[in-house]
Amino acid sequence: MSVLARNSIRELRHRPLRTLLTVAGVAVSTAMLADMLMLAVGIQQSFGDLLESRGYELRVSPKGTLPFDTEATIPGWGALQDSVGSVAGVERVAPVLAMSVSAEVVEGGVDSREARRTLALGLDPGNRALYGLVEGELPGTGEVLLDARLAVELGVGPDSRLRLATASGFAGWGRSATVRVSGTGDFVFATRRDMPVAMPMADLQALSGLDDEVSFAMVRMEGDADPEAVRAGIVAASQRVEVVTLAGIADELDERLSYFRQVSVVLGSVSLFVAALLIGTITAVSVSERLGVIAAVRAIGVGRARVVGDIAAESVILAVIGGGIGIGLSVVVAGYLESILAGLPGLPAAVRFFVLQPASLVTAYALVIVSGAVAGLVPALHAAGREVTELLHREEP
Amino acid sequence: MTTSASGDRGGSRGGRGSQAGVGGTVVTAREVTRDYRRGRTRVRALRGASVTVARGDFLAVTGPSGSGKSTLLHLLGGVDLPTSGEVLFLGRDLARLSVEERAALRLREVGLVFQRFHLLPMLSAIENVELPLAAARVGRRERRERAAAVLEQVGLADRLRHRPSELSGGQCQRVAIARALANDPALILADEPTGELDRATSRRVLALFQELNAAGTTLVVATHDPELAAGARRSIQVVDGRTRP
Repeated sequence: MSVLARNSIRELRHRPLRTLLTVAGVAVSTAMLADMLMLAVGIQQSFGDLLESRGYELRVSPKGTLPFDTEATIPGWGALQDSVGSVAGVERVAPVLAMSVSAEVVEGGVDSREARRTLALGLDPGNRALYGLVEGELPGTGEVLLDARLAVELGVGPDSRLRLATASGFAGWGRSATVRVSGTGDFVFATRRDMPVAMPMADLQALSGLDDEVSFAMVRMEGDADPEAVRAGIVAASQRVEVVTLAGIADELDERLSYFRQVSVVLGSVSLFVAALLIGTITAVSVSERLGVIAAVRAIGVGRARVVGDIAAESVILAVIGGGIGIGLSVVVAGYLESILAGLPGLPAAVRFFVLQPASLVTAYALVIVSGAVAGLVPALHAAGREVTELLHREEP
Repeated sequence: MTTSASGDRGGSRGGRGSQAGVGGTVVTAREVTRDYRRGRTRVRALRGASVTVARGDFLAVTGPSGSGKSTLLHLLGGVDLPTSGEVLFLGRDLARLSVEERAALRLREVGLVFQRFHLLPMLSAIENVELPLAAARVGRRERRERAAAVLEQVGLADRLRHRPSELSGGQCQRVAIARALANDPALILADEPTGELDRATSRRVLALFQELNAAGTTLVVATHDPELAAGARRSIQVVDGRTRP
């Protein structure tokens, strides 16, 4: 370590309160910046990961919609499924009918018999792309699989009985059916409020009266198939449907979240600016207190670049310490904010707003260190750029 | 007006005297002027001052406040450049050197001592003395040994680890002198080195200068202190920006 750098560290230690306050300010700004970076990409990435984990590369939905976007359905699905299934590159087609229903405990419940509104998914029970089995068995005819949290809420379990009725305002309003609970599951797209139930497609179609209609279908491709080529093949098979690849959904999501991301970037930039301003101000104050020494050091022949570097080193030290603490703080704050935002309606509980990515943390840390160094360079260059004799005349009586 | 050196007495420290310029001259200032701008006013600090400092000289520069003593010292040491005239340091015209070249020259050939010491307050005595050695890229072990040796030379062998705040004014000035000596320069320039010291301490500093000069160090000291001026080998006066014998 150079002699001047050693002096810089001791200067910081010599003024503990000033140093502590600066480090605290930089830490808070860094935490804010890191959280904003995590927020800017977190929801997209976690949603993308969620979609990819299902193993179906394409989604077929009614024209102009996305899956779970509306209550619209695709009529005449039976014929369409054959067409989609015959497109080159398609390995499997998994249709889903999604519908709001009210669920009422018929027996075995521990609480009142009030109806609970929920989302029913009609599908092939063997297709577990949308859920995993927690307890019991997959639903057969006349059976449903409940989201595990819903089962707890209703106080039911395997072998309990529920009465499902189509909710008002939906097709087949007023129809109902009593079903047996075959088990509980963990539903991928469940939200905090919407805890779905799964049942065989035919049962839900019968309950809703929507024979031969589905809400959307998931399409799995053969290993070497090109998603765009398969998409084009399905579109050619039917003009009534929207076909999107996972990349297309990601783009759509990207567009919908662009304002969100812009706000994150602006707030992150403000945080970075505040950190730089703080470091720059403290360095400027420190430099002005030491102008005489700086002049003397330059007068004895220490090069301008070295003086500038050593003053900037003081700023970098503040940025490194404050930034490091800030990164740790950002993880804590992200966890807290995540717990608040997790209650946001309409988003799957598995989707995260703040995804802890090493890249985001490293970027935030690097940005703070670089901006701290730049902020420190300004007063350092200003001091080193002044005439030595002018400073000496000022400092010497 | 030219004021010549009175001669070359004593040996040279560490052989650096042999590197002194043509005819044993360390530095020569010829008819130098220096103008400063203070707002819209142009102030002429020097008006054609000339001086030659030979190897082994001990020159006192006296004169009233504001007469241009400090400015002359800054010009002799390459801290500043004249508005007109020339300064030849070891035969090199300082005006022809870049800022960084002049800094390098000062680092190796000039030792500066200030009235207010300007020691780095967070560094110990030995670390302060190490500063110019570190800047000259002297290795860690060697610079520590050399710094300790010059501190011993100025009588502070028992104060190596003390910070400036733990030293008296006289001791601080001796640390500053040790720092000036660290790179074994061809010339020591001291600007009012006893200005902040009491009489007894000033005498000790004068004795140290005389001792160093006797060992071959070339010194130019700007001072108001008649005792210090009398203790030099010779003196010149700066009055109204001009030098007088």
